[in-house]
Amino acid sequence: MRRLTDIVCVFRIQLMSMRAEAGPFFLAALVFPAAMYLFANAVGGVEAAQNQSRLRFLAGSIVFSLSLTSISWLGYLLLENRFTGRLKLFATLPLAPSSYILGFLGFAFVQAALGTTVLLLIGRVLGVVMEPSIAALTLVIMLTVLCLCGFGVIIAARARSFTEGSLLTDALGAGLVFLAPVYYTPETMPQSMRTVSQFLPTAFAARAVRTTLSGGHQIGSDALALAVMAIVTLALGFKLTKWRED
Amino acid sequence: MVTEETLLEPDRARVARQLPERAASVAVRVRGLVKRYADGTEANRGIDLDVQRGELISILGPNGAGKTTFLRQISTELRPSGGSIEIFGLNAVAAPQRVKQIMGITPQEAGVFESLTVREHFELFARLKNLSKAAARAATRKVISALGLVAETGKRVGSLSGGQRRRILIGLALLGRPPLLVLDEPTTGLDPSSRLAVWGVIRRAVTDGATVILSTHYMEEAERLSDRIGIIDHGRLVAVGTLDELLGRLERSYRLSYHDQLDPFGKLCVHYFASFNEARAHVADAELSEYSIARASLEDVYFTLTGERFERGDTESA
Repeated sequence: MRRLTDIVCVFRIQLMSMRAEAGPFFLAALVFPAAMYLFANAVGGVEAAQNQSRLRFLAGSIVFSLSLTSISWLGYLLLENRFTGRLKLFATLPLAPSSYILGFLGFAFVQAALGTTVLLLIGRVLGVVMEPSIAALTLVIMLTVLCLCGFGVIIAARARSFTEGSLLTDALGAGLVFLAPVYYTPETMPQSMRTVSQFLPTAFAARAVRTTLSGGHQIGSDALALAVMAIVTLALGFKLTKWRED
Repeated sequence: MVTEETLLEPDRARVARQLPERAASVAVRVRGLVKRYADGTEANRGIDLDVQRGELISILGPNGAGKTTFLRQISTELRPSGGSIEIFGLNAVAAPQRVKQIMGITPQEAGVFESLTVREHFELFARLKNLSKAAARAATRKVISALGLVAETGKRVGSLSGGQRRRILIGLALLGRPPLLVLDEPTTGLDPSSRLAVWGVIRRAVTDGATVILSTHYMEEAERLSDRIGIIDHGRLVAVGTLDELLGRLERSYRLSYHDQLDPFGKLCVHYFASFNEARAHVADAELSEYSIARASLEDVYFTLTGERFERGDTESA
């Protein structure tokens, strides 16, 4: 019970901080991904007219939104706490570092739910035909958020300066989307990148989101890959986040 | 743990309730404390100190002497390289989370959440200190009132001055009335009236039964607040005692100060003498027309032990 209270308090602190930082959140979670959807449609040529392509673009934009909010934005908040001394404030409390991270993960889930819902509505308004399987989509979104947040937590814990950390989170947040077959098919990628890019978490996430948007449930291998990556990145993130310096 | 039922308890009793069963009469026991960094720097070199329950001890020392390192180790923020720290009989090195339940800490450099209002900040951190909702609200009201922040209650922390934010950090340590307060330069950056208000709050906490360890750059703060004063230099606790005990360590307790008559705006010359007459004799020999003879102060003890003087800004009185 005590642990839950701690997690909720950390979550509420971040949520209340959003009052002054809603602008950057909407940019990262909605404006950029929505613009990317329109851009992909515009440059997609004849293929873009097919619903399959539009589903790919929408799934790509959802993953883009998750990547920006879970790695770039969340990483930025964690770095800000660390390098402005707020983390020290948490460290003075009988609060476990894991509760601190779990509070942040809760915050990331809320952001992901908001971003995904709005992007789905935008897709619907723009005429994308979809039959989303809500339960499967929720599972994929949660696993993606956990996995990507893990990267943000690791960078925030290891960065030597705020500048270094925010550059890394920004680069990774965008890079994981553009280097993976998220908006386009693997076949259109350079041969040298094709194999590696298919093992990026965003590649698994985009494929799984696409499947669930078209009403499919065959997400087992993608969900498993995301789950394994989430366990590895978060375990490392938990291990690296410490209250006490050596 | 403070609960709603304990809200009306006398403060002294509430502080006692938070202590472990059979808590020692010594609040803090430090033995052979060493901090050695990877580059070989030794910030603390074997510090021994006992702080009694209900005592307020100030730690003085030049910049880089090891004061903050010492306090960071007590507050469990920094793992010691050697030695032991017991807080009310609990091993602070082995069980930092347990120990933090009975400690209020103000770090030297900590940030606040600028988007939260003052009330939200206190209430959420009170909850993180394991206070119930009602107790958190009550504790918030008390701390805000004690620190003179009533007019700022509903304001965003980001709109407050540096001194007001510093008071918030002190208030966060006071939430829940922990039996031990560890305050690292709590009044640095505060204007004189705010500093006086904080001194009052700290003294009240001691009256209510708390034990306080604080580091300070202000001589006057140490003199006026402390039951005992410790002086750290080059990582060692070179002296600890009451003000009278420290003054008693000086063999020459009369201080003669003057400016060179040929350079009246130059450096202040200071000499120490065993008696007033000895000082007067020196004045006659040197044919000084403008001078001052005074009993030695804590500043003189500090100078004698560390070889360093406080800068004028540091001794600014409140």
